[in-house]
Amino acid sequence: MIVRREIEKRTGRSISIGAAYATLERLEAKGYVSSFTGEPTAERGGRAKRLFRIEAAGKRALQVSEQTIRSMTGLRSRWENL
Amino acid sequence: MRHESPPVLVCWLLESVVPARYREAMLGDLIEEYNLRAESASPPIAARWIWSQACRSVASIAWSWLRSGNWLISMSIAAGVYIVVGTLKLAVDLSISRLVAPQQATQVVLAPVVFLSAAAIGGCVAARVRRGAMIFLALMVMITVAVAIERKVCTIPVPWWYEFGFLTLGPLAVLITPALIGLRVPGAAHPGK
Repeated sequence: MIVRREIEKRTGRSISIGAAYATLERLEAKGYVSSFTGEPTAERGGRAKRLFRIEAAGKRALQVSEQTIRSMTGLRSRWENL
Repeated sequence: MRHESPPVLVCWLLESVVPARYREAMLGDLIEEYNLRAESASPPIAARWIWSQACRSVASIAWSWLRSGNWLISMSIAAGVYIVVGTLKLAVDLSISRLVAPQQATQVVLAPVVFLSAAAIGGCVAARVRRGAMIFLALMVMITVAVAIERKVCTIPVPWWYEFGFLTLGPLAVLITPALIGLRVPGAAHPGK
């Protein structure tokens, strides 16, 4: 729930909870994140929470993505200054 | 804090569609946020939100499932169950028409019993092997009945609702029987995994 809300807050777009879980599943399959099950609570209808943690491979992939975006943004600035 | 119950149909829909690996966690997240919204806004607004989430989530999960290629395995299992149970049903139909009940009236009464039993058995077998196979089997049953109605396979004159019953109750028997008898679907026992 927190992951989905954070994405909504940062992107300004509404995403479904199913889309968030499907994406997290793919990231987990690639070894970018890992998950573990928390304690069930009454507010959740007695259902357990699933907590995610970013792994070293995930951090590396994120850095590569950030560098790519930065270099693309730099390229755009150079074009605009021409 | 008072806990509202989310619409039963939403829970049923998601429990049927969401993979067992994250079913519990996802439903828990939805219920938790539904309660927060019901308290801060109102239960009808929270209900509208949970319905929108459920419908969009089903579409996302279906797309993700199609991309993963798992549907091919499910479809193959469903086809196998369809062939085996279909052959058994055909054998029972032939036995009934030749030996037990050559009269048309008796056949009209016995045909739905045999058909629904076969659909229910097929549903249970498919669900036991793989949850997705059950959905494919229901679709196969529906298409078979629709083709049979369109091609007028039944030579005995019957009212429209008789054929409509086959079209609706057949797929429903496939989908509902495993849940009714409390059959354990693979993966459901360890939702966290």
